[in-house]
Formats: sequence, structure tokens, C-alpha cells
Amino acid sequence: MSGRRAGNRIRGPHSALTDFLAANNISAAEIRDSYRQRVQQAAQNEGDGQENGEASIDRAQIEQEQAEQAEAVAQAAERSRKRKRNQEEAIAKVKKSKELKRKASKKSKRGGSDDSDDEDYNELDELYKKAKPLPGQLENCEVCSKRFTVTPYSKTGPDGGLVCTPCGKELTKDSKASEKAKKPVVRKTRRKLESNRLDGLVTQGAKSLQQLCIEKVAQHHLDIEEFGDLPEGVLNRLSEIFSKNRVLNPRTMNLFLRPDLDTVAMHECANLQTEDYSQIFAIVPNMQKLVLRNCCQFKDENMEYMIEKATKLKHIQLYAANLVTNDMWINLFVHRAKELETLKLEWLDAAFDDQAVEAMVEFCPNISRLKLRRCRQLGVDSIDAISRIEKLEHLSLHFNQEIPGERLINLLGNVGLNLRTLSLERFLDASDEVLSAIHSTCRNLVKMRFTQNDYCTDAGYVSLFNDWANPPLQFADFSSNRDIDNSNPEGPEDAIGFASAGFAALMAHSGSKLKHLDINSCRHITHAAFSDVFDGQKQYPCLQEINLSFCTTVDTVVVAGIFRSCPALKKVVAFGCFTVEDVVVPRGIVLIGVPKAQDAIEQFGDSWLNVEQALGAMVEVGA
Amino acid sequence: MAKHQTEYVTLVSSDGFEFKVTRSAACVAGAIKRMLDPSSNFKEAVENRCVFENINGVVLEKVCEYLYFNEKHRDSKDVPDPDIPPELCLELLMAADYLDV
Repeated sequence: MSGRRAGNRIRGPHSALTDFLAANNISAAEIRDSYRQRVQQAAQNEGDGQENGEASIDRAQIEQEQAEQAEAVAQAAERSRKRKRNQEEAIAKVKKSKELKRKASKKSKRGGSDDSDDEDYNELDELYKKAKPLPGQLENCEVCSKRFTVTPYSKTGPDGGLVCTPCGKELTKDSKASEKAKKPVVRKTRRKLESNRLDGLVTQGAKSLQQLCIEKVAQHHLDIEEFGDLPEGVLNRLSEIFSKNRVLNPRTMNLFLRPDLDTVAMHECANLQTEDYSQIFAIVPNMQKLVLRNCCQFKDENMEYMIEKATKLKHIQLYAANLVTNDMWINLFVHRAKELETLKLEWLDAAFDDQAVEAMVEFCPNISRLKLRRCRQLGVDSIDAISRIEKLEHLSLHFNQEIPGERLINLLGNVGLNLRTLSLERFLDASDEVLSAIHSTCRNLVKMRFTQNDYCTDAGYVSLFNDWANPPLQFADFSSNRDIDNSNPEGPEDAIGFASAGFAALMAHSGSKLKHLDINSCRHITHAAFSDVFDGQKQYPCLQEINLSFCTTVDTVVVAGIFRSCPALKKVVAFGCFTVEDVVVPRGIVLIGVPKAQDAIEQFGDSWLNVEQALGAMVEVGA
Repeated sequence: MAKHQTEYVTLVSSDGFEFKVTRSAACVAGAIKRMLDPSSNFKEAVENRCVFENINGVVLEKVCEYLYFNEKHRDSKDVPDPDIPPELCLELLMAADYLDV
């Protein structure tokens, strides 16, 4: 019997089964209960035959009730259809309005009745509404009013009824089209936002109008004929963004060349050809400052032309100019001689050796700013030569060859006193003596970087900062100074590298003026040291940016302490600090890299929270 | 000096268009803020009226739009970028640089 019922579903008021069920006095309450049950069980087809049978009874009853209830409406619809057979849309409208009227009248009825009755009515009402025709049955399409067979794939129309297959296809097409139109915009801005955040560009509120315009200009770089007389600062920022977007090519390069300019700065010249460089000097012969990064096609002939044309050049920054020979570098120093004040060279492999550096020192006595990074041919002789430059104020060195510590000590002894910037990266053989040389000679440092060293001890850093006659540093980068021994990750007992005591000594010495602190990967700084330095009582009024990535002892308490201790804080970078979680970031601060998988990689301060509120919220979470 | 800190100030373009904007929005721009600062005692501060000889009406209109946009989104994050017509963006850039916005 159950099989027959299941297969041969009956609907409509006049079937024999309907009468039979009615005669058997099956109540609405039963139907309601079973309906609830089925909703809970997600109306799945169970394998059990008995259940199937019951379900089919229920279904039949629901259908019956539904049919009875809908009879009036159906008849009304039938009538109206007869009246306006040609205008199917109108029919749909009538149907809809009738439905609405029916609902309204029910609502008014409901208002008058008892509470319990009311509830029953509600339930029943819902039941009738939800019980849509099942697969295999016939139904009138909501959109075109055609009769069609319901399948499991039948779509729901805009008013909640079912629609036939062709209409369903139309509907999905429409919705897909609108989705397509919306989606890319959303994704793009989101991608852009994340990127900007990691670059630390966005904090709060709208971007500045200048920033917006510059981005727009870069977007439309193909349509621009000339910039007109933009101020140099703006021009430089445009050049930066053109470089970043890799749209600085021979055509756009000309936009940045004007005879009256003092500075030519192109930060990404990979697309420029040899003849383009000559054009730069032909158009802007009066430049004082030249910045060409990634100028791979800058050759001897360009250098020659530059020496000839740009006679006022004082500041030169050339990165990756590997086609310039050694002799030509020396030629440059001979000709620029006393005018040359700044030289920044990076990524030179093929040429530029110790001899060139010696020539530079000999012919260019007025160099005050020198940066030599990743110039592969440079070695000890260069260090000795640099120590003879008397006017040096800013020195950045990153050598590939090994430099013995005593040569560095000699260098510092000669030039250390006047230095305002000292950056020594990856000097592996620099020992505590180098630190003590810095301690005893440097008196004017504002910016100091000493990184990637696993030889100096914590005690060495302590003696550097204790009683140092140098005024407080504004920029301190001591990243990646730690012992590297896979078999002993905790490091030796007497800490090697920039560890707890050294960190405390640095903050005691420079905390009052420090703006930028980078201690990334200094993993021997203990939690106790962090909580002592950032205890919320001690204040670091200038500190704006901290990078403590991969300092694994940093946890939520330390970060909260940092928020309390640094009133001017803008950015905290904390990649790889796995115990930082549930941080509520105060207003105006950016926290980047906290590795909680489900969260965004970067967190922004809620605009309505100040530090105290944020900390309060965090304590609640912690408790 | 009689301080009349009106709610609205007038920004005038080089071709004579006048824009009345709220003082708070106008002060989003650093240059305008300094012009209107009562302690500076500039003519602009006294008259509550800033004349820009180097910005034309079309550009100044965009600037005013941006001033309100910025003020509206002051405390929100992930602000969408307002639309800037490409043909105006260079002139607008000059104006933005001048006005310090």
C-alpha cells in the first residue's frame, strides 16, 4: 500500500483517497507535528519502507489540505485567466494581488482570535505556504503561467513560487549576469586594500586627494602628453608610482624630463634602452641629483655622455649598472672629483672593484654619503680606502666578501666620530670589539643598523649602549642578530646575539627619541625582557613603528604593553609571533602579520576604540 | 578682533565661481585651514572667503566634492576611492598639492 501511495501521489479535492482520509478523521494537529518532524529531519528520503509510507501519508494529507485551502484562490485565478487569457502578465499580477489580499485578511482574522488558535493558524499557514509541489507533479509556472512538470531542479521564482525550465534558465542567466557585473569590482578593491595595508599605506579615512590623483595619472599613463610644470616633489612621487606599476618606459620617461629640473629619479629603469639614458642628459643637463635604479642598459657610452653633459651632478645613485666598466667608473670619479657628495651603488657584479673605490676616495674628498651594497668585487681594501674619507657622515655597507673585524674597527676609528648614519649589514666576523669601537668613537649617530650577525654577544650590546656618549638613536635596526644552531634552538647560556639585556639597554639609552625599532628574528629576547620594557609605565613618546616578527616569545600581553607604552605608535609588524591572539587593536594603529588563520593577515584599529577601551576589551577576551 | 567664525566659508575660483562649503570640510585642506586660522589674521580669515587665482571652477568643484567626501569618511575604514575624471586629474593634482590635501 505504501508503495502505491508513494508512487501514485494524489492531489485535488475530488479523489477517492481524499474522501477516505477525511472520513478517517485525520486531524490537522497530526499533520502539523509530522511536519515539524520532517523539517527537523531535513525531509530526506529514508530507506526505511515504513517511514516512507508514513511520509507519503503525511504528504498526501498536506497536499489535500493545501489543495482545499488553495481551492478558492485557484478558482479565482481560473476565472481571471478566462477573463484575460491573452494577457498573462496581468494574470500574474492579479494572482499576486489576490494572494496579498488573502494574506492580509488572514492577518486581520488572526488579530481577533485566541492566542492558541492563533498559533495553530500560524503553523498551518506556514505549512501550506511551504509545502510546494514535489518533483513529478504538475504546477503552473509563476512567470509564464504555463503548466509544467516539477523536477528537483525547478527554480524558485521572484515571488516564491516555482517556475518552468525555460523561465528558470532565463532567471539564472539574469542573476549570473548581474553577479558578474558586481563581483570583479568587489574583488579588485579588496585585493588592492590588502596590498595597501601590507605596504602600510592606508590607515584610516579617505586617501589624500594627491594620492588619488597620482594613482589616476598612473592608470592613464598612455593618454598623457606632458605633465606641465608640476612641482618636483609631486613629479618624484609620480615617478615612484610609475616605477611601481612598471610603466616607466622610453615614452613615459620623457614626461619626467624637463630642462629646469634639479633631480631626475627613475626607480625602475629596466625598460629603458641605452639611447634613452643619453636623452636624459641631453634634456636635463643641469641636474644635480640622478637616481637610476635597475639601469641594466646603462653603458660606458652613457657614462661618458653624462660626464660630458651633466657637469653639475653632485648626487649619484646607480643600481645594477653592470655594463659600466671599471675604467669608466674611475673616469667618473676623476671628472666629478670635488663636486661629488653622494654615491650610492648597489648590485654591481661585473665591475667596480677595490681599485675603483680607491680612486673614488682619492679624487672625491667631499663625499659625505656613501652606500655600497652587494658589490661583489669589493673587499678589505675598499674598507681601508673608505676609512680615509674625511667628510663621511652617512655610511651604509653590505659586503659579500668576508671582512675581518679589526678592519672594521680601524674604519670606525677613522670615520666614526662624524657619522650620523651607520649601517653595517651582514658583517659576519664583526665581534664585540666592533661594538665597543662604535661605543668609543661614535658620538653623532641618529640612525644605526647592525644586522645578520651571530658572533656578537648580548653582553657586547649591553656595553655598547650603557653609558654611550652618543645621543639617543631615532632609528635602530638590530634584526637577525641571533645564534644559529639547529641542535640548540634556545641558544647558549650566555646569550649570543641581540637578546634580553641588550634590548633593555637599547631601550634605556634610546627610548626617549626612538622612532623606528626593528628587532625582527632576535629570538633570544625573553618574554620577561619584553614585558619589562613595555610595562605600560615606561613611555616611548616617539616610537611609531616596531617590527618584532619571529620574536617567538612575544604574546598578547606584550602587544598590549606596547600599545600602552607607545602613544605615537602607528604600525606593529608581528609575523610569526604565534602566541599573539585576540588582540583588539586601538584606533590609528596597524598590526600586521598576526598569524591567526581565520583572520585577515593584518588588523586595523577600530575607529571607535581608544587604547584603554581596546585593552579593556582584550582583558575581557583573555578572562 | 571680532571673531565671526561662520559655519560656512566661501571658496572662489580663478574664473569667479563661488563655492560655499562648511568650515569643517574646508579645513580638511591644510592650506585652507591655515588661511582661515583666526590667529593668523589673514584677510581670508577675516572675510571667511578664500580666492584661488590658480584654480579654475571645474577643478575647485571637484576639490569641494573631495573635501566633503573626506569629511564624511573621516572615521570609517576601507573607504572606496571617489571617482576622478581622468581629464581633470593632472590639474587636480596640482591643486591638491597646492592646497595640501
